[in-house]
Amino acid sequence: MNARIVAVGAAAPMFRLPAAAVAEAWGRGGGRGQAALCAPDEDTLTLAWEAGSRALEAAGLDANVVDGLWWGTTRPPFAEGPSHSFLAGALGLAAESGGALLSGSTHSGIDALAAAADAIAAGSARIALVIASDALRPGLGTGAESRSGAGAAAIVLSAEGGAGSIGARITRHHPVVDRYRGDADTETRDLYDGRLFREEIFLPIATAVIEPLATLEPRAWSLPDPDGRLGATLAKRAGSTTPPSASVYAELGDTGAAAALLGAIGSLDAAGTIGIVAYGGGRATGVAIHADRPVPGATSVARVLSEGSEITYTAALRARGQLVAGGETIPMGVPPESAMFVRGADEMLGLLGGRCVDCGTISTPPSIHPHCVACGGPKLEPVALARHGLVHTYVVNYTMPAPFVAPLPLAVLDLDDGARLMLQVVGDGEELAIGRAMRLVLRRYSYERGVPVYGFKAKSIAMEEGSV
Amino acid sequence: MSWNRVAVVGAGLIKMGELFDQSYEQMAAGAFAAAVASVDKGFEPDLVDAAFVATQRGTLWGQEGIGGNTVPSAIGLSGIPCTRIENACPSGSDAFRVGAMAVASGVHDVVLVIGVEKMRDKSTEEGLLSRAAAGHPIFTRGETAPVLFAPFATRHMAEYGTTREMLASVAVKNHYNGARDPYAHFQNEITIEQVLASAPVCHPLHLLDCCPQTDGAAAVLLVPAERAEEFTDRPVWVAGFGVATDHPYLHEKSSFTEIKATRLAAERAYAMAGVGPSEIDCAEVHDCFTITEILDIEDLGFVEKGRGGPASLEGETALDGRIPVNTSGGLLAKGHPIGATGVAQITECWWQLRGDAGERQIETRNGFALQHNAGGRGSGVAVVNILTNRS
Repeated sequence: MNARIVAVGAAAPMFRLPAAAVAEAWGRGGGRGQAALCAPDEDTLTLAWEAGSRALEAAGLDANVVDGLWWGTTRPPFAEGPSHSFLAGALGLAAESGGALLSGSTHSGIDALAAAADAIAAGSARIALVIASDALRPGLGTGAESRSGAGAAAIVLSAEGGAGSIGARITRHHPVVDRYRGDADTETRDLYDGRLFREEIFLPIATAVIEPLATLEPRAWSLPDPDGRLGATLAKRAGSTTPPSASVYAELGDTGAAAALLGAIGSLDAAGTIGIVAYGGGRATGVAIHADRPVPGATSVARVLSEGSEITYTAALRARGQLVAGGETIPMGVPPESAMFVRGADEMLGLLGGRCVDCGTISTPPSIHPHCVACGGPKLEPVALARHGLVHTYVVNYTMPAPFVAPLPLAVLDLDDGARLMLQVVGDGEELAIGRAMRLVLRRYSYERGVPVYGFKAKSIAMEEGSV
Repeated sequence: MSWNRVAVVGAGLIKMGELFDQSYEQMAAGAFAAAVASVDKGFEPDLVDAAFVATQRGTLWGQEGIGGNTVPSAIGLSGIPCTRIENACPSGSDAFRVGAMAVASGVHDVVLVIGVEKMRDKSTEEGLLSRAAAGHPIFTRGETAPVLFAPFATRHMAEYGTTREMLASVAVKNHYNGARDPYAHFQNEITIEQVLASAPVCHPLHLLDCCPQTDGAAAVLLVPAERAEEFTDRPVWVAGFGVATDHPYLHEKSSFTEIKATRLAAERAYAMAGVGPSEIDCAEVHDCFTITEILDIEDLGFVEKGRGGPASLEGETALDGRIPVNTSGGLLAKGHPIGATGVAQITECWWQLRGDAGERQIETRNGFALQHNAGGRGSGVAVVNILTNRS
């Protein structure tokens, strides 16, 4: 039984770094194109949340019906730790949901799709959420630096229904060292020799999976392009002109584990077969996917990926954590491993409130409100908070010790369900105003002793739509 | 009346400032000596039979070990009953209220109320500003002290047309008064233009909209009415007090144009004293930020809700205005050594009601002065004390 495709979603980070800015920083001329880069409070997990949330919304499904989350990324926020459970919690998946975190190379995005499709085929999952996300961190001054991007793609699969299906799959592998990051490395090491990689590794095994796929006569391809040229070579071998994935590479750069799915899901906006080729870690996999009709979420992919503002090279270094101020930082009052985070996990990551059974007022968060803030009543039932609201009042804080970075806007929000919250606001606060419509997005609030702390922030909807 | 009348027979403070040369204990000793020296007919220190100490955090986020025993030891009275009162920014006001209740109840006879706060032994980053990282890891992340009041300014400006000039006029007035107070941290006058041009701290508040970080200590001596004349012929009396609470977090506020705890505390204090806002001759109110004083004078009933800005700009709260507010210079100019602040405000009221305020002396037509603090995360606590010179 082939897994059915219900809906898709995409996410891109806030910043775009022009290749020319990287070239200039290293005293080189030229530099074409750009790459997407995470803001300091974004990472592969927040991008995964954004894409996954969009796909579920496009599917019209509640998160709690998902049987499993299959997540592929080269840089899970914990090299070892609760990455998968953090993402599942933030997405609001049921505590009994399963799935897997796949990592180890940029091939992990297609691994996630294959594993989820197999779980559905085997009957162990009815609805699966597949997310491929990445935020690459290149070595400074390396050839890969100007192309290392970030982004996320999500696909909701189901045992029945849907607008398309997962089809044929073919894999080749070859045990060689291409791009890699050892246990002690923080940055990905570039290729040893570009021509050696091209001639002896990449082209032979990518071609081996393209040729059988080409017999299905795909109407569009998503092809890997690790150096900015190999993608075009593969396209010729596939008998294709410029594949749609090229525009994703042009917008976001190399999105690592997300690249193969990101390059494909936008093409699900019309019926037909898409040929996907993923490469990473000496492995190439080809997958054919079929749309019977436009897949929900596919038409908004291009718009989502085109959002983002240009930044300077210095700002990029700061955003990647490669330019760090000296001196001491103020530690968080509550350590991230402590009891408060155990009590508060659901209400922080899942954003819960307590609704008073007597007067209906929502108090947030439940763990500090045994009684209602309005009537004092003792009976509160947990409810998921609305994710949209209006600014009631706000400030922009310019005066904080490290690790805080000014300006830091904070807003008191009246959510659509009547709950009131104060949250940090994404951006510099320039666009803030009383009455401004906001939505809540998952962001990384801090890094505490190497542990990321995630929570929701408010983001101006008008800013997202580019009208501010 | 079911409580015994309480007289304030002595009050004093040390010069406020960045007192790098004085320890917490030395500041306490200085304030106690000043209160003792202020007693008209003399006062033997060992007459004190109980003390209440207001210290909010000692040296901010550092000297958490301060207890009831620290001050008695520092002032040579180790052995007396002593309790530390911590109730956020109104700690000093509340220690005064609790001390007055101890005398009023007849449990204690001669009570010392003393506020001491060491703010500047730690750097700003590790001291006051480190609260940005304290509290809830998400819902208060980045919440420094100005964040607790700036949202009120944003909303007050939007709803009532309050302007930055109106906010600035509060700082200008309080610096004018501080320039006439020898105990004030800042004793220089400033202009509206200087306030407007100062660096942004937390939009819409700028540097001169904010009180400084100040070390300081202040003390008062309370006795039952029947013993007042042993110490002075010009006592000041406790007329009434009120304390009130509100939810602690900002997102729990039902309104960002009033401080509800202030309104409730004032209602209780006025009822107890049997007076209304129009009978108050002068007031020392909590002006940690300029917006706070504008909210205070509305919530205490001195001006209509929404008129705090224009009333300040038009001089209604100046030394020669209809209701002089913060004649001492307030927190903005005199400084805000948290636990000491309320006790220092009581000292200013004591001077004004006795006619001892020198260049700052106002006309006491009705004989009532009001003292107020609000604070705690999101102004969740407020205390109002009312004093009178009328026997």
